[in-house]
Amino acid sequence: MNLRDKLRAVSAPAPRPAPKPQPAASDCWRKEITRPLEEFPGAFDLSRDTLMLMQAEELPRPLDPTRILYLDTETTGLNGGAGTVAFQVGLGWLREDGFHVRQLVMRDYPEERYLLREVEAAVEDADVLCTFNGRTFDVPLLRSRFLMNRMDPDVLDAPPHIDLLHIARRVFKLRLRRCNLGNLEAQVLGIPREDDLPGAEVPERYFRYLRTGEFALLDDVLRHNEQDIASLCVLLNRMTWLYDHPERLGHSEDLFAMGVALERAKHVEEARRCYRLLPSGALHAQGQLRMAAGYRREGSRAEAARLWREMISRGEGGVTPFIELAKHYEHFERDIPRALEMTREALVRAAEPRLAPDAEAEAQLEALEKRYQRLKKKEQAQRKSGADDVPY
Amino acid sequence: MNVDQLAQVLRADQDFMENVTRWEVLPARPARYADYPDGLDERLREVLRKRGIHQLYTHQAQAVQRVLAGEDVVVVTPTASGKTMCYNLPVLSAILKNPDARALYLFPTKALSADQVSELYEMIEQAGVDIKTFTYDGDTPAAARRAVRQAGHIVVTNPDMLHSGILPHHTKWVKLFENLRYIVIDEIHTYRGVFGSNLTNVLRRLMRLCAFYGSHPQFILCSATIANPRELAETLTGRPVSLIDDNGAPAGERHFVFYNPPVVNRQLGIRKGVVPEVRAISGMLLKNGIQAITFARSRLVVEVLTRYLKDMVRDPMGNAGRVRGYRGGYLPTQRREIERGLRAGQIDAVVSTNALELGIDIGALDACVLCGYPGTIASAWQQAGRAGRRKSTSIVFFVASSAAIDQYIVNHPDYFLRQSPENALLNPDNLYILLSHFKCAAFELPFEDGDSFGNAPAPEEYLSFLEESHILHHAEGRWHWSAEDFPASEISLRSAASENFIIIDITDAGHHRVIGEMDRYTVPMLLHENAIYMHEGRQYQVEKLDFDACKAYIRQVDVDYYTDADLNVSLSLLDIEDSAEEQGFARALGEVKVTSLVTMFKKIKFDTHETLGFGHVRLPEMDMHTTACWWTLPDSLCARFEADALQGGMLGIANLMRIVAPLYLMCSPQDIAVIYQVRSPITDKPTIILYDNCPGGVGLAQKAYGMQGLLLEKCLDIVSRCTCALGCPSCVGPVGEVGADGKKTAIAVLQAWVQPAGVTP
Repeated sequence: MNLRDKLRAVSAPAPRPAPKPQPAASDCWRKEITRPLEEFPGAFDLSRDTLMLMQAEELPRPLDPTRILYLDTETTGLNGGAGTVAFQVGLGWLREDGFHVRQLVMRDYPEERYLLREVEAAVEDADVLCTFNGRTFDVPLLRSRFLMNRMDPDVLDAPPHIDLLHIARRVFKLRLRRCNLGNLEAQVLGIPREDDLPGAEVPERYFRYLRTGEFALLDDVLRHNEQDIASLCVLLNRMTWLYDHPERLGHSEDLFAMGVALERAKHVEEARRCYRLLPSGALHAQGQLRMAAGYRREGSRAEAARLWREMISRGEGGVTPFIELAKHYEHFERDIPRALEMTREALVRAAEPRLAPDAEAEAQLEALEKRYQRLKKKEQAQRKSGADDVPY
Repeated sequence: MNVDQLAQVLRADQDFMENVTRWEVLPARPARYADYPDGLDERLREVLRKRGIHQLYTHQAQAVQRVLAGEDVVVVTPTASGKTMCYNLPVLSAILKNPDARALYLFPTKALSADQVSELYEMIEQAGVDIKTFTYDGDTPAAARRAVRQAGHIVVTNPDMLHSGILPHHTKWVKLFENLRYIVIDEIHTYRGVFGSNLTNVLRRLMRLCAFYGSHPQFILCSATIANPRELAETLTGRPVSLIDDNGAPAGERHFVFYNPPVVNRQLGIRKGVVPEVRAISGMLLKNGIQAITFARSRLVVEVLTRYLKDMVRDPMGNAGRVRGYRGGYLPTQRREIERGLRAGQIDAVVSTNALELGIDIGALDACVLCGYPGTIASAWQQAGRAGRRKSTSIVFFVASSAAIDQYIVNHPDYFLRQSPENALLNPDNLYILLSHFKCAAFELPFEDGDSFGNAPAPEEYLSFLEESHILHHAEGRWHWSAEDFPASEISLRSAASENFIIIDITDAGHHRVIGEMDRYTVPMLLHENAIYMHEGRQYQVEKLDFDACKAYIRQVDVDYYTDADLNVSLSLLDIEDSAEEQGFARALGEVKVTSLVTMFKKIKFDTHETLGFGHVRLPEMDMHTTACWWTLPDSLCARFEADALQGGMLGIANLMRIVAPLYLMCSPQDIAVIYQVRSPITDKPTIILYDNCPGGVGLAQKAYGMQGLLLEKCLDIVSRCTCALGCPSCVGPVGEVGADGKKTAIAVLQAWVQPAGVTP
């Protein structure tokens, strides 16, 4: 047996037709598409201030929406690593006459360098880069490809980068769970895709094309990619519009999640606006609690106490507003009898029998008991020392 | 009682000394020193002085000097000789001179990495310099990985992580690859066989990437005592390496006691069992407060001995924390806890497999008991090295089992004491291994026409084969990876099988927990359904083995027996590479497919070791392609014997070969397998077959083939000198196995073979 036969015996490859030779080219394949502006409502009204609510990256001032580069790649694998290649890159720009999409394909590996140079030029020229999951996928992959082709990967990190996955996920995760682009298109933008090529099948398509030379195998990939690029622009506009008009968010989950996102990013007033817009229900109560906690942290204790009292009067939020008020009376107003009263009320509610054992509730009950005993002692001590300035 | 007193007592004990075949005292060795080498950074000299080290040991000074002079080196150091200085000093020195410089440390296991990093930290802290050292392995949190990649001066990892976590993602490690100055590989003696063959290829890949990034790292390797450290180092690195083996570290006096359990049945050649004898010796050490480690060859024996020793010291609550078992399959946290306990002196006795043979820091112990010969001289010295302090006396007991190799060693202590330890053999160009790494290498960086891959043969053949298989794509003189897979995840460096089985304790229905794992090839032997599996001295019965999901479900039980499975092996021929024939006696070398199957197991009672019963095992066969060499008997000779006698004789020769071959191939017994076939499907004649016990083989069968008749001569030598009547475990095997004529036939066949001229004795 010669070496080749042995190798075959070890792992028996499938027979296959010889690949069609590709014409040697000095450029990659490209396609230009212009989509009508009607598909991109509000694209020119993009507000920098609103974008700054959604993400932390410093954006140029003024922000020119035509200088945002939308980018999405199709790759030979989803696992990453140095052997994974972006065989197709889609670039998109908003222009006066429509949304321009440029699609680049390497017809064979030697064309990769031309494709990457084009990407490099586009990124260098852009004020802002906009992707979907580009921070963890597309950009690291392109960085790797730049390095492998001895190009400077830092070019890719130069423009501020808006990653729509993170922006959308913060608002819609609570409701949608899965925040891939397809799902967002269907659930948020209201434009479900038809006959879309599943992302997982993309690499296999490319390899089949490489083996057979049939470029038509890539048609579905290109269609998929064109839709991705266009959706990036639509989604970005949609997100800024929603941040400007939270009252138009149709679901309390989204409204609450947007509030939390804004609050975490320290946009407190905007967050309160979301919480206040919540219709009554469990999320409304959570919003109120978060708001009150915010007031307490910033020192507006009276305002916080007012919110807790309102919650109690509406019968909202269960035991928590009682506990919070008890703390408030004890530590801030030093009104021990009222702290005791609140604790007692909390205890009555917390002690209600439960069907299933609940460790958290048990712990809460125990903590309440302790608080109650401590307050009792305090009250007695106050009475003894005659420091009884509390109206009884 | 201290060791000196114990030695005195034992030497005066007639009953004990009757079984001692040799009591060797290895004298204490004084230290030899040398001055700090030139070029060692002043800040490091200061640290050394602060530690009270005003001179280095000779081997340390030499290593530092040669590394600083730009040589690749391999340092051979016994346990506790301060080897880490040999690489830490030059590496730190280089980074202090050039803060951009980077170093990569490779240790065979995570446990060792953790140990060495703490020592390195200490040194860096004392020097008060800003050198960042990070461990990068499976336990490194994702959030910390970025910092390691960017800022780590010294990255400490293991071959597996380098293989699957670093090399395939090299574009994230630009800083490391561009500035790599030193590659430190410790414990290289562990890199033999499959593991070493894999590591060689991982290093070939590493060096390719270094060339791409324009760095030219130097190698600093360390090895325990083996016969061929330089050869091993040069095979691993593919470069000339200079050898430093002049050990200047001191050692205390060491007693080496060869103990052979008394014969209980002279006719059958049966001796008292090694386990009860070790139980007595280790028990004696435990009772006298001498901290000791006992090494056993199998996980099973570790568990049995742990249980015996624990029983000796159980408190009223049934706890016996002073005695612990240690072996592969215990979870890492449990292992770390045992190591700490040993260092802190809270554990008095530990029973271990060779898992503790490596340089894991457990401090030095007073005594070591080897329950049976560990298979190689190198291993035996490594295990014995666990006992041995710099200043005080230590003692090592080698207790021989009835296995022939043990008997050989205990009766020929000089073979062990005088002979150089084994060669570490590896075969980086093993077809399977090389092919896998060609894939990984092509994934990491396209090959160009005419590129070499280390000194691997015929790279173009492999590349065009991979193109045929739709894995590579050749365009304009380059071979591009064109598949979706991540090839590094398909290879495990340590064994041929990639996925391990996990072992799940279902005793508590509400709380299933994973208590260990096991490699695929061992599973049919130890985790078949109804097997008694022992873990930390506790017994479990395997309730269900889900072979496809790689899971074994076990439940705690309390029974008075253990189980032992029977392995059936069959062979088929793939290819003959070479053959020779002299007067009807043929031998050949070739590739075979080995199919192994476990069909039944025995239940064996504790203490008496009698067989209580049998059970069936239903498991799929396992296939392995490997290299084999075989010897065939001519029909004319066979015609001289009855069928039964011939079978007994063949079995006897196979047994002899199992004893002899590891000694002369310088490998451990489990690296090869020997079987006999009365009518072999390969040759259609009675045949003895020896094969490499790993997929593809590491070159042992080739070596055996190249020795021509030598192994058969040695078989004849042993069997004709053996004093037993009709066969014993030390030669052809017990008469019960080989039959009444087995020994006689084996001798006759071997004589005909060795002296084919037809000379009859």
